[in-house]
Amino acid sequence: MGSINSLRIAEIENQKLKTYKGDMHMKFRYAKLIALSICGSLLLSACGGENAEPQTNADGKPIISWLNILHSASPPTDTVLNKIEELTNTDIQFSWIPDASKEERLNTSLASGSLADIVSLTILENSSVRNALKAGVFWEVSPYLDEFPNLKEISADMRNSASIDGKLYGIPMQKQVSRNGVIIRKDWLDKVGLPIPKTTAELMEVAKAFTEQDPDGNGSKDTTGFIDRSDLVFGAFKTLGSYFGTPSGWAVSEDGKVTPEFESEGYVKAMDYMKELYNNGYINQDFAVTAKKDQQEGFAQGKAGIYVGALFDSKNLLNLAKGVQDDMDLIMVNDITSTGKESDRAIWSTSNGVGGLLAFPKSEVKDEAELKQVLKFMDDLMSEEIYTLMTYGIKDVHYSLEGNAATITDTKLWEQEVQPFSSSRPNENGYDIHDSDPLRVESDRLIQENTKYAVLNPMYSLESATFSEQGSELQKIITDATYKYILGKLDLQGFQDAVQTWRKSGGDKIITEYEAAYQAVQNK
Amino acid sequence: MKDSNSSVVSLQGKLHRKTGIGHQLRSVAANKLLYLMILPGFVYFVVFKYFPMGGLIISFQDYQPYLGIKDSPWVGFKHFIRLFTEPTFAMLLSNTLILFALELIIFFPIPIILALMLNEVRHKMFKNSIQTIVYIPHFMSWVIIVSITYVFLSVDGGVVNEMIAAFGGNKISFLTSPEWLRPMYILQIIWKEAGWSTIIYLAAITVVDTQLYEAADMDGASRLRKMWHVTLPAIRPVIITLLILKIGSTLELGFEHMYLLLNSLNREVGEIFDTYIFTAGLKNGQLSFSTTVGLFKGLVGLILVIIANKLAKKFGEDGVY
Repeated sequence: MGSINSLRIAEIENQKLKTYKGDMHMKFRYAKLIALSICGSLLLSACGGENAEPQTNADGKPIISWLNILHSASPPTDTVLNKIEELTNTDIQFSWIPDASKEERLNTSLASGSLADIVSLTILENSSVRNALKAGVFWEVSPYLDEFPNLKEISADMRNSASIDGKLYGIPMQKQVSRNGVIIRKDWLDKVGLPIPKTTAELMEVAKAFTEQDPDGNGSKDTTGFIDRSDLVFGAFKTLGSYFGTPSGWAVSEDGKVTPEFESEGYVKAMDYMKELYNNGYINQDFAVTAKKDQQEGFAQGKAGIYVGALFDSKNLLNLAKGVQDDMDLIMVNDITSTGKESDRAIWSTSNGVGGLLAFPKSEVKDEAELKQVLKFMDDLMSEEIYTLMTYGIKDVHYSLEGNAATITDTKLWEQEVQPFSSSRPNENGYDIHDSDPLRVESDRLIQENTKYAVLNPMYSLESATFSEQGSELQKIITDATYKYILGKLDLQGFQDAVQTWRKSGGDKIITEYEAAYQAVQNK
Repeated sequence: MKDSNSSVVSLQGKLHRKTGIGHQLRSVAANKLLYLMILPGFVYFVVFKYFPMGGLIISFQDYQPYLGIKDSPWVGFKHFIRLFTEPTFAMLLSNTLILFALELIIFFPIPIILALMLNEVRHKMFKNSIQTIVYIPHFMSWVIIVSITYVFLSVDGGVVNEMIAAFGGNKISFLTSPEWLRPMYILQIIWKEAGWSTIIYLAAITVVDTQLYEAADMDGASRLRKMWHVTLPAIRPVIITLLILKIGSTLELGFEHMYLLLNSLNREVGEIFDTYIFTAGLKNGQLSFSTTVGLFKGLVGLILVIIANKLAKKFGEDGVY
């Protein structure tokens, strides 16, 4: 910017120059000026990136910058932030990254070194994030955790899961182990006279009835059973896969053989199930290109009656439907199996309950004293008081309290001022305060119940160099083939060919590396 | 402005051109004001175009940002070998070339035809308003254009599919079928850019000597004849120049447009170098590898421009340099 301006100045000077053509003296003076301004601007732009950051603000509070992920439409206003700053005695400066572009933004931040004191790394499987962690860009925090009362409480399991090569490079964000399930419109179920589905076959019946029996009663067949989005993981597919017994990510046999989930029988069954839904029109036909927002709005508008995703979405869906589908009544189901046997209950786990790492780059957090300051801040964030602030907001402004049950009183205000913080909480489990909303209480209960049946990814904390480097690239082969199979553009042979391509392009190497890493851990 | 400056400089240089560096320097000294005027442009190109090229070095390294160029390990041609041996390479190249060919054959002539037609319109108001209407889409971003297309073509309640269904046809999944991606891509480009390019040709047409038309009138030429024998030859240099520039950007189809259209089901025909660089480099953090892809793309573009320029000169046109 600076250089562009000075260029423009130089041009203007040039024009002036013409008028002074005769005067040599003048000419030289201008020439020097121009040369100076250009050089000066180059110098300026060269050192613009290295501002010496003051450690404290005007009031003497330590400044803590935070590169954080934003899951809602716009950053929060200052109301709750001021309160948190007051309680933690800090000056927090957020840089928000929209969740949709977190990969490229985090990568460019890492590559250009423009980080903050705290960086929310929610994509630990991404190769450049992993490389940065392994290269020692961030502080290893495990020796310090036990000095702080709340950080001390982080379980050994959690610390293990969030470690890379046995080292913990940040505070793990503790989430529920498994939050997925099926949300169904109860009012529609009653209308078509079907019971709450317990098996995948019954779920198919419900989808069929919702599509064909006009559950909204408007006289035309304009509804579908499922409404899904273009996401094979957080959409319906992976959850349905669990019902058919698909492993989560990888499976390890007794003798240490590692196989990817898409070579399992359950994966193919789930594809067949989706295919049946698609062919019969029991699912929105454009699900392969539908965004999450459109999916939720579609559900709220009464276009479909079955939503598969995070169980706590039920409350959002009901909120969205206010004034549009006022008689909407939702029921959440988390005990569907393909066999109907309780022993077959399973649900995949979202990255084993680790939502990511809150990491502290050495380039920003310069020494141990500063690290402890930031850790203290993290510790404070995990206190019940700040958890409440970040979850429900300020009492009597955003919510009212009855015993331990909080009721959000102003949803609009809460969405603006509080909701963006809720995804930055270092811990989401084990607090006394809870939502009074019956749907929320129920979804919390079911998510808690899911923990018992959670299928963990056995490779989550293991290392494979090839997976770090090419894993996401290779996954595209499988994702594309899966969609094509579901939409009938590929037969089983074609899908298996794609799996072979995956193996040949690097999958085999990943498997070998994982088997070695798994063996190494077992022998320890 | 820069061009005219340099031509003046060279003209004045020619006046007292003798061999030897001393004379050259003297001619620079004699024209220093003019050189000074070039300076801003020159500095701009050095700072923003040539200096960053040094970064291409990382395509021979396993570049890690925190180690920097100095300490990152050198790996020779590893990334080039990976690029040329990966099965994706053939797909990327063929997708890019096919789209480019379609653009050249279908899109490129449209602005010329449009300009010729507009030129024949006598009613000035009518001509101007048409001109304005066709170039306005140029100012819309691809995000908007692709979103509009999405709303129109969606299977779940899109206008076009509803109409097809109303006439008793089967709904077509435009957005997810590979065979519809290319037509959709080209049509969107035509809608957005045809009007804009027309302006350049119209500008070229306005400078055609009217005496030529009068002479043609004397010879009894029809309007079609005049178009063919006067207007078209007159704008030929412009067409050739634009064609060469277009060929130079063969592999440079533009990231944004295609990235917005891509999904799992049409990737096999839609993935092009630009989108691949984005996913490999910025999303998956393979900075060195994506630099390699970019370098390859740039080199191919350079070679194509040189060839096209040579060809143009051979056929008696001016070329771009």
